[in-house]
Amino acid sequence: MCFAAALIATAGSAAPSNAQDAKIFQFALQNGMQVLVVPDHRAPVVTQMLWYRVGAVDDTPGVGGLAHFFEHMMFRGTPSLPGEGFSQTVARNGGTDNAFTTHDFTAFYVQIAKDRLKLVMSLDADRMANLDLSDANVHTERDVVLEERRMRIDNDPQSLMREQMEAALHLSHPYGRPVIGWAEEIRHIGRVEAQDFYQRHYAPNNCILVVAGDVTPPEVKAAAEAEFGKVPARPVAVRWDFAQPPRMAETRMTIARQDVKVPLFMRIYRVASYTEAKPGEAEALETLSQLMGGDATSALYRELVVKRKLASDAGASYEGYARDAGEFDVYAVPRPGVRLDVLEHNVDDVMQSFTKAHPHAADLERAKTQLVADSIYRRDSQYAMASAYGQALVIGLTADDVTEWPDRIRAVSGEQVQRVAVEDLIKREAVTAYLVPAAGQH
Amino acid sequence: MARKTWRALFAFVATMFVSAGANAAADVKVLPHAPKGEVVWYVSDHTLPMIAMSVAIPAGSAYDPQGKFGLASFTASLLDEGAGTLNAQAFQTALSNRAIRLSVSPGRDYLVITLVSLTDNAKDAFQLLGLALSHPRFDQDAIQRVRAQMLSALEQEDEDPPTVAAKAFYKAFFHDHPYGHPVSGDAASINAINQADLKAFAAQHWTRGDLRIAVSGDVDPATLTTLLNSAFGHLSAHAAAPAPWPTHVGSPGIQTIPMPVPQPTVVFGLPGLMRSDKDFIPGFVANYIVGGGGFSSRLTDELRVKRGLTYDVDTSLTTYRRAGIMAGDFATKAASVQDAIGVVRDTLKDFADNGPTEKELADAKTYLTGSFPISFSSNVGIVGVLNGFQQVGLPIDYIQKRNSLIEAVTVADVKRAAARIYNPRAMTIVIAGTPEAAKPAKPSAPTDSHARRH
Repeated sequence: MCFAAALIATAGSAAPSNAQDAKIFQFALQNGMQVLVVPDHRAPVVTQMLWYRVGAVDDTPGVGGLAHFFEHMMFRGTPSLPGEGFSQTVARNGGTDNAFTTHDFTAFYVQIAKDRLKLVMSLDADRMANLDLSDANVHTERDVVLEERRMRIDNDPQSLMREQMEAALHLSHPYGRPVIGWAEEIRHIGRVEAQDFYQRHYAPNNCILVVAGDVTPPEVKAAAEAEFGKVPARPVAVRWDFAQPPRMAETRMTIARQDVKVPLFMRIYRVASYTEAKPGEAEALETLSQLMGGDATSALYRELVVKRKLASDAGASYEGYARDAGEFDVYAVPRPGVRLDVLEHNVDDVMQSFTKAHPHAADLERAKTQLVADSIYRRDSQYAMASAYGQALVIGLTADDVTEWPDRIRAVSGEQVQRVAVEDLIKREAVTAYLVPAAGQH
Repeated sequence: MARKTWRALFAFVATMFVSAGANAAADVKVLPHAPKGEVVWYVSDHTLPMIAMSVAIPAGSAYDPQGKFGLASFTASLLDEGAGTLNAQAFQTALSNRAIRLSVSPGRDYLVITLVSLTDNAKDAFQLLGLALSHPRFDQDAIQRVRAQMLSALEQEDEDPPTVAAKAFYKAFFHDHPYGHPVSGDAASINAINQADLKAFAAQHWTRGDLRIAVSGDVDPATLTTLLNSAFGHLSAHAAAPAPWPTHVGSPGIQTIPMPVPQPTVVFGLPGLMRSDKDFIPGFVANYIVGGGGFSSRLTDELRVKRGLTYDVDTSLTTYRRAGIMAGDFATKAASVQDAIGVVRDTLKDFADNGPTEKELADAKTYLTGSFPISFSSNVGIVGVLNGFQQVGLPIDYIQKRNSLIEAVTVADVKRAAARIYNPRAMTIVIAGTPEAAKPAKPSAPTDSHARRH
């Protein structure tokens, strides 16, 4: 029951997985539910993920955090399985379950022995159609979400900074609102809002079922028709097409707080996502982020941490899996006594090297090798494979986009990398932030 | 933020009993001709062109000398910072060019190294690891860089209530025993460590006398023997003895470390059970029922579901080589800390006094046995589980016996184990953050215009 906004820059590129040799199968149920199967017969277990096309962008204005809150409510019972019955039934059958919410989607998953897949489908079909929101647990769950917000955001100055940066970066687009919601808006959520949200968004024709594991497509199809097929399709709310207003200037902020011990420099650029990008553009951004800040051999780390000794850490990442804009961020943690403006100047210096020339051939090759290897290592995990396909389909990409991704990465040229460095990473499209300890320490 | 995740170093991860257990799908074998008599368990699975290995070396923070706390961790962090003729950049480039994933996780007893490689690069991967272990360079430049990273990470840890609480808890629980200090050391000790210390630690502790190795993936036994020889064959046969036994554990009562955060973290703990204790499996089941089982646990039901006091509470039964520990944690707003601690005490006391219900036991068994195969669904997962078993000295046939051991547990067994473990009066409790004094029963919170109270 977490929300998965890209809050801190620890993660490297969220590259999609691919499966060059892995076979996938797709079909649809009568009620419009899309299904994708990734067979993996190494162990007698399955991972089922349900990806709903609803997320924080669909929050009712003034009730931010509703989509994430609703994800919590999906675990709070139906008439036939009241209370915490969903998770308890899954556990009693040897399974584990959880869920996460982003701006664009809400995903629920279960990992369990393969002979329990049909049972899990019956549980998920039940809560898709029959959720019981009538009792007082709405208020208790609101308190739980407020504690979750304190834990993930309010207690963590880096998360607070990221939240402020996102709010500034996206202007009026709802990507600027935190997925978990502002505390005062979380307090506005009530039973009526939750019931309304359920009616408008939760239907079989608004979600994608992904099953990875020790199953065959006919088995999945039969079980899905039998369980999810019982839930009739119905009209769901049309998603708003939000403007992404032009940015006319860089936004800069310095956040000084008592709870900060380690200063931080960060910049986030609004860039093309996989859904918006021209052919090859997102893959070039992915490659650029690897070259610039993907590991200890990357340019920012080599220059700022190893050679110039200005930073204890530095990196970059690209988050391109979005229905609207993607994000490209760079960050650096100063060594003691290094001023953040000096650090920023040096980050800019390293970044500019990518705008002036193609990357060195050996570096480009290494970056691409790493990205392609990610897609092979990902095949080791049912969860990672189901996630790769699910997150692509739910934002409007195709399974081919995932399967062909390694080849597209291999095709990225030095010229393309230079072009996105010049054309996508522009200051006007960025928010730059300094996080510093409060009270005269800087 | 730090690339090297120092934060993971002191969490309750050391040799936690992995909640997965038995009739694993994977066919786990003992490598018949391990190069120098190491304990090697392996799974041959050629589905994917990759190999994963997890190896535990008795080179954890329990071996840190006085005044040099963090030395084991510091040394471990230099594993990929240069070896033989390769300086740090050359070594890291050699790994990166081949997409070899080498990671270190120093705990209290063991340094755990995980190596993941594509089959085509396996020979290089194991050789590079061998070079790093047997001929580390410890260049001054790399030492200063890693020192700066560790110091920065320590400062970040000081911002983080769960970390502050966990460190203080270990200190309060183990006192001056080698398990008591943080795996990541402290700023003074990290500054006190020099090149000679690092070299001496590696020479003395990066040895093959007591290795525990688990491998899974695209490899056959003969090839694996060769690969392991290239990784570990050049190490000395010395084996470090485990830490001494603690003379006394625990500091009953509450210790508060003030922090300017809205939500304090509370860590609570008691002596647990050694892995060899006859009540360990009943205790493991008891832990699931009281705090290990997510929405099936009593603490989650009491704190989260009924009262909305926390997002997450859980407990674990962790075994080190020289101690067992029951520890749990949760975070709640400053105004709720006292109430929540009371709920935890009451819940544990009730469980210790009355034991589980038949239904709770039955549900625990079906989860604990039924979920075991999930951990065996990936190469990386398999080596993690197997290595966890190896670290606590379990024999390979435990993998087959585990589920029947759990099935055999009775209500009386769990009640007996619970009574031994959950003694709320003896609890060591650490609060990181600044709790507000307990208030009289609060009037209902102001409602908003949207919601009706029920």
